[in-house]
Amino acid sequence: MTVHAPNRGGMPKRLLDNQFVGGLALFIVVILAWQLCSSLTFVIPAPVRTLEVLGANLTDASYIFDLRVTAQSVFQAFLIGTLLGGLIGLGLGLSERARLWFEPLLVILNGIPKIVLYPVLLPLFGLIGAKVAMGVLFALFPVLINVATGVREMPRVYWKLASAVQANPWQKLIYVILPAIRRPLLAGLRLAVSLSVVGVVLSEFFATRRGLGRVVLQSYNHGDYPVMVATVVLLIAVAFVISILLWRWEKRLR
Amino acid sequence: MTLRLTERAETVARQPVSRRRWLGKGATSAVATAVLIVVLGLIFQACSALGLWSEADVPAPSTVLAEFGRLLGTGEFWGDLGRTALEVLLSIVFGCTLGLFAGVLFWKLPRVGRAFEPYLVSFYAVPLVLFYPVMIVLVGINASSVVILASVMAMIPMALNTTVGLNGIPPVYLKLARSVGAGPRRILFSIALPAAGPFVLAGLRMGVVYSLIGAIAMEFTTAQAGLGYRIRYLYETFESEQMFGYIFAVLVLSCVITLSLQGVERVLSTGGRR
Repeated sequence: MTVHAPNRGGMPKRLLDNQFVGGLALFIVVILAWQLCSSLTFVIPAPVRTLEVLGANLTDASYIFDLRVTAQSVFQAFLIGTLLGGLIGLGLGLSERARLWFEPLLVILNGIPKIVLYPVLLPLFGLIGAKVAMGVLFALFPVLINVATGVREMPRVYWKLASAVQANPWQKLIYVILPAIRRPLLAGLRLAVSLSVVGVVLSEFFATRRGLGRVVLQSYNHGDYPVMVATVVLLIAVAFVISILLWRWEKRLR
Repeated sequence: MTLRLTERAETVARQPVSRRRWLGKGATSAVATAVLIVVLGLIFQACSALGLWSEADVPAPSTVLAEFGRLLGTGEFWGDLGRTALEVLLSIVFGCTLGLFAGVLFWKLPRVGRAFEPYLVSFYAVPLVLFYPVMIVLVGINASSVVILASVMAMIPMALNTTVGLNGIPPVYLKLARSVGAGPRRILFSIALPAAGPFVLAGLRMGVVYSLIGAIAMEFTTAQAGLGYRIRYLYETFESEQMFGYIFAVLVLSCVITLSLQGVERVLSTGGRR
């Protein structure tokens, strides 16, 4: 990472180290607090025990199957949500009229607790389709909003240049729009990743046959807290690592 | 800032034209939204009249509206609404206060801010819902486990936005404050926070939205009362019509909250600058 030190003045290397070291220190504090909590109450397994359970789970074929089901749904939701969000966002960013008509409605839709729509999606899309659809609903909005804002705020001279070199629409999209909005787009993708995880897992809390959300709720109902905590930690950790990587990439683009 | 000022100057110069235009824009949007909602409702109505899906799965909008009207007269609905409103209100108060405090702390102690930044950025509010099962094991199935997590959800955008806003203050503001001998408290309350105002307001708006989304999602997972809980309960007892009445109520509630927050933000941000 230090190779890509930002060219801000001062001690860039040390600054970068600082964030890593500080973040690590915070992480250790959290782990210690977790350890302390687990010694105070029996319902929370210790960090080491959680890791052991997680390790055991990951060699269990049935758990791996649940993991794969969830991962597949999340991936589909992310892909569809991003594409759909990107297309709608592009339309809204390019057309003043579309913005006038659809923007307030989209703002309102973004503000609703989308999970309550799950019972509506269930009969429309079926048991497996509904959780993907929920993930799409969750992942759609950050991409849509960021793309629309990004396209709208592109410097006017980019459009002039594009028409001066007589770029066709496709070339405009690939060579002008995408590079110009790369940062808001990446930020939208970062939010979409963790939101599609949340959408799918929340739907699995509700009604599904297989998947990690069901594992969590089932182990909660059986009082099998180590498995529950281990699964929650796994989900959070995966979403966390992906978004941290995307965030670092985003910062480097500055 | 300067951009806004020039904009305003222009508005003053050509007031009649641009004013009508602005109003026209806002009105067009409002009318367009209303038309879209009505058209969507009619399409749904037509589809269920044609029998594209069974009335038992997704009732027609007219049925849902009638059911919503009936719900407004029942005590149970107001009890659930009260529970959700209480949870959301408490988490807004706790979350936004803590978030503001954290934002000021991160501004004063940049090193602490940098250590927290990656976590705040990647736990951007919503993934925290996944901690809910852990929280109910720790605290129990009651309002406080919802309030704790929803407060953290409201806190994160508030803290991030406050930090960004405070870090973006032109250094000359603080220099001026120091040179006229303002104390740290006066600098914070009279200079720094007002200067970061638009960001803080945006953080507040997001905090409110996230705590509403979080509270309802958590109630939906498992709870004893509240709008989210009721929807799940009605789903499991196959009372489809009543469930859709509740879903509609949640949509109306969040719509009202979003619109009123936008209104408040607009009034506050223009009122402050005049």
